[in-house]
Amino acid sequence: MSQKITIDPITRLEGHGKVDIFLDDAGNVERAYLQIPELRGFEKFAEGRPVEDMPQITSRICGVCPTAHHMAASKAVDAVFHVEPSVPGRKIRDLVYSIFFVEDHALHFYYLGGPDFIVGPTAPKAERNILGVLGKVGLEIGKEVIGLRRQLRELIALAGGKVIHPVLGLPGGVAKALTKEDQAKFIAAADHAVEFAEFTLKIFHDIVLKNPDYVAWITNDINTHATYYMGQVDAKNRVNFYDGQIRVVAPDGKEFLKFPAADFHQHVAEQVEPWSYIKFCYLRAVGWKGFTDGADSGVYCVAPLARLNAADGMATPKAQAAYEEMYALLGGKPVHHTLANHWARLIELLYAAERMQELANDPDIIDPNVRTLPTATPTEGVGIVEAPRGTLVHYYATDADGLVTRANLIVATQNNAARIAMSVDKTARGVIKNGKVDDGILNMVEMAFRAYDPCHGCATHALPGQMPLRLAIYNAAGVQIDEIRRDG
Amino acid sequence: MRTLVLGLGNDLIADDGLGLLAARELAVTHGHLADVVETGLAGLALLDLFLDYDRALVIDAIQTGTHPPGTILAIRGDELSAVVAPSPHYAGLPELFALAQAMGLAFPRDVRILAMEVEDAATIGAGLTPAVAAALPTLVARAGAMLENWPGE
Repeated sequence: MSQKITIDPITRLEGHGKVDIFLDDAGNVERAYLQIPELRGFEKFAEGRPVEDMPQITSRICGVCPTAHHMAASKAVDAVFHVEPSVPGRKIRDLVYSIFFVEDHALHFYYLGGPDFIVGPTAPKAERNILGVLGKVGLEIGKEVIGLRRQLRELIALAGGKVIHPVLGLPGGVAKALTKEDQAKFIAAADHAVEFAEFTLKIFHDIVLKNPDYVAWITNDINTHATYYMGQVDAKNRVNFYDGQIRVVAPDGKEFLKFPAADFHQHVAEQVEPWSYIKFCYLRAVGWKGFTDGADSGVYCVAPLARLNAADGMATPKAQAAYEEMYALLGGKPVHHTLANHWARLIELLYAAERMQELANDPDIIDPNVRTLPTATPTEGVGIVEAPRGTLVHYYATDADGLVTRANLIVATQNNAARIAMSVDKTARGVIKNGKVDDGILNMVEMAFRAYDPCHGCATHALPGQMPLRLAIYNAAGVQIDEIRRDG
Repeated sequence: MRTLVLGLGNDLIADDGLGLLAARELAVTHGHLADVVETGLAGLALLDLFLDYDRALVIDAIQTGTHPPGTILAIRGDELSAVVAPSPHYAGLPELFALAQAMGLAFPRDVRILAMEVEDAATIGAGLTPAVAAALPTLVARAGAMLENWPGE
């Protein structure tokens, strides 16, 4: 008798999704699918609106990474107006973006990803949360996380108004200059952020890397795929979140593609599958060969580990040392172990903090020349940033008055969708044997996609069904024969 | 006695805007009884908003699929971990309360939730569906009455 197991919805993620696991007669996994619903209607909504409103509007669509949408849209609008931001304008954007990264990555580690590692993958569900984390690392760390977060959000607000309604990016720069007093606050917060990031990496070392079971789980073949990797790099091929060229490396780590943002759609195509709303991105030059890895499959990966794999290093000294250490310990570049994303994320946390420190101390950020006024007739443009969850692409075309005629977003989770689907399937096959399924086993399947930190359709408020987690077992005829419920 | 009214949601996304729309009306009619805040944040990010209030009324959209759209549900904050959490916002709230308690933060002792069952929480720019739009005045009136009659101390 065949069985179908459903994990629905995925907990601890914004938005909702579900995992369907089909078992064969012997109780082993035939195929596991991750279903991701999407928000609808963005293109239609954008049509006819002034393109310079897009940074504000898109930042309101998603409460998780508003700053990433704001920056990608601001860069796309620059491109639409054919304007290069002034140096102070660009640096202030970059500074704010670094602050956002520190906040988002720190929150992810302690609140979303950390529970699996710090508390333990198979620990009771009731303990796998931030309280469990604080139970292990100490309550004072919780105060530190909350305090730093508040300090960083106040700075984002200082530079650009409300955090989820930023009014920072305008075509050609930013809306307001920073003062000497502002700068002192940014410097103080940056020093705090660097200390915090170093401390967080130390926790990861002490609790995760010193535990042979965790290291074995990270490097286990069932959590491994040899795919292409994509990330934005600076002129020296180092990781850059705000600007640069898009670089793709092959599964053997060698550079495969490098192109400017404007060429993104020439290199990436989308595959539609009957079982999913998500369009699966793949590299045109390689082609779609299904959900499989290797150099012949166009499946690629974005987000922290992919960014580190796609670059030659980090642009700041402490992060560079941490980068070298990770690759030395995990056997060289590229690293194909999905769960190493958690380590890569902390290296990026340290980089973002150091980058913030560098920019906060830069005299240009208090230069009042924060904007180059656009004079050209608007046409079309692409803006790309690295969002915490991976490469984020905004495209707009306008009429001569700057009103949007076409709009398209490719969010990080779409770039990652094929590999996430592969991870869920491979891990499910690896951990579910002979029909035996329990809470710890299901959590290992969830960990396979949680490592990517997927954001579902940028929907913070798509509200799922009544149970936070549902496991339904169906027979071959599709009739439900059993149900296990897990409360949130 | 400091009271917070927190409207949760996203007014760009169909019915998900109802918490914000309700808060916007309450700010006008009942702003003298409570601080009224609209937010699109969720989970741990909500922590700061609750600090230093004695009590809070949260207004939000939910989608359980078991009630007709427009149905209003009243839930007490302390029931949340016991009852089913129908939204990611609420899935985060019990954790938030426990965290605040563990860390000795000044958090509301009395949290109440008014939630409305919605039909569409995924279409950008769609506005409220008819059943939810029709029920919104009732939701606002109920929230207003709750604020007027909330026993002090």
